[in-house]
Amino acid sequence: MSSDLISGDGRVHVKSGLMRESLVSKALNEATEGGPIRRMVPDVNFIAIGGQSIMDRGAEAVLPLVDTIVSLRKHHKFIIGVGGGARVRHTYAIGMDLGLPIGGLARVMGAIEEQNRDILVFLLAPHGGITFIKDHLQDLPMWLDGGMIPVCIGQPPYHFFEPPPLNGRLPENGTDVGLFLMAELIGAKRIVYVKDVDGLYTADPDVDHQAHLIPNITAQELIDRNLPDLPFDRELLRCVERSRLLGGFHLVNGLKSESLQQVFDGKKTGSVVRASAERNFS
Amino acid sequence: MSEKREGRIWIAGMDNVFSGQTIANLDMYEKLPQSRPVRVLPDVWVVKIGGQSIMDRGREAVFPIIEELVAAKEAGIQFVLCVGGGTRARHSYALGLDLGMPTGALAKIGASIPVQNARMLQMLTAKHGGIMVYHDDLEKLPLYLATKCIPIMSGMPPFEFWEKTPTTGRLPSHRTDAGTYLLGEFLGAKGVIYVKDEDGLFTADPKKDPGAELVVHADAGELLRNGPDDLIVERVVLEYLQRAKHVREICIVNGLKKGQVLAALRGRSVGSVITAEVPTSR
Repeated sequence: MSSDLISGDGRVHVKSGLMRESLVSKALNEATEGGPIRRMVPDVNFIAIGGQSIMDRGAEAVLPLVDTIVSLRKHHKFIIGVGGGARVRHTYAIGMDLGLPIGGLARVMGAIEEQNRDILVFLLAPHGGITFIKDHLQDLPMWLDGGMIPVCIGQPPYHFFEPPPLNGRLPENGTDVGLFLMAELIGAKRIVYVKDVDGLYTADPDVDHQAHLIPNITAQELIDRNLPDLPFDRELLRCVERSRLLGGFHLVNGLKSESLQQVFDGKKTGSVVRASAERNFS
Repeated sequence: MSEKREGRIWIAGMDNVFSGQTIANLDMYEKLPQSRPVRVLPDVWVVKIGGQSIMDRGREAVFPIIEELVAAKEAGIQFVLCVGGGTRARHSYALGLDLGMPTGALAKIGASIPVQNARMLQMLTAKHGGIMVYHDDLEKLPLYLATKCIPIMSGMPPFEFWEKTPTTGRLPSHRTDAGTYLLGEFLGAKGVIYVKDEDGLFTADPKKDPGAELVVHADAGELLRNGPDDLIVERVVLEYLQRAKHVREICIVNGLKKGQVLAALRGRSVGSVITAEVPTSR
């Protein structure tokens, strides 16, 4: 690419395909849609561990899951992400009562996920567990090739800059969203959300006996159904629809130790939520 | 030792409105008391200096604007300065697109350029109290303002690798207009002013279409629905304006015309104003 300097309108431009553009034009953005996207850290699997659904249950739920991850690590590379749970909800309740703005709630929430990350690193350390903070994202290849298991928080680092949410009154870019974005960025093989439900249901199975498991559905269908409750962040569905590399996610029950194993054995378990349209050009 | 409730470790007194709920539960939000968050720094303006529109013009454009900003500060007006990237950011994006980089990686490389520009502004204003502020220093703003400094930041939000793939194309949709706006909204700022090289918003890009007409007052929703293909401000800003609690209008002024920046900081109506349509009761 030429690095010619162009002037004449009072500004000095570096010559490029985007020269003089506001980058706001719809037509220009459409023109950047095509072309292959390279995978930065391929062949890695993201495991997203629920805060309320898994971590808050303590040893009973966490230790068997850790054992499963350690055993699977012999054949698969992992990055582990974790959510907050009960203490995040308490933080939000107090923070909202104090009138913290949305960016303030987002900024204070991450501390809880860091606690849970440190707990998982403690448990996984004998097997290569290592703290993975955002500034070390580019170190991932080294850790993974060294047999380590990087453990990170889920929340994306939007912090004070968390945008006002489309629905609800809490930061919409939570754990599930942040981990999906990271997996999409590095072109991971898959992301599996490990929670305390067998998958996605048409209604709450504890309340409605007609409720049944949805084994496979598109994110767009779920957005259209607008179910009153979901076992993951609503914004995650919009991220799935925009995905170029990952294309979807798995949701499995971490309280049943075999479910995670089944995903990696290629057996059907839990639910799969995928993008409605193929946006992968690579 | 550890008490449990519904299978989860529980501490008495931890109960709150979000306990046991998923963050995606829409019904839950209906039950919350309606309240407006506090304003963090209500007397402070957030001013963005355009990258391509101002910085790339060099001394001729930048020096007179600095003079007006210093005059405003001497008059006791408080503001935080944000700055855009400009032509080098566009060159970075063009290069990254050509090499098959995903949106998050483009946002990461794009973020370096506004930091260069912020450092340039800091050097030029150091004798008047110009001070570089990084995202992690945001909580020190009260100190900088109380000591009559001019805090200077990159306009880019800290999303970087976590920038979402947009619905169309691959360019990051949160760039320096968005970061500046989100900072203003978080602070509950007095207002957000964009200093560009046009009198305001036009019906088309006035640099490309000589028939373009100035729009003195525009509605954010209307601009998104029926506005021109190209706009003077990033589209996400118009989305967030409509969801915002505090900053429900933005102002765009021509930094090349003497007196405009100072007038805007004195609260006078200059340039174009874009407002959110109906104030929400959220």
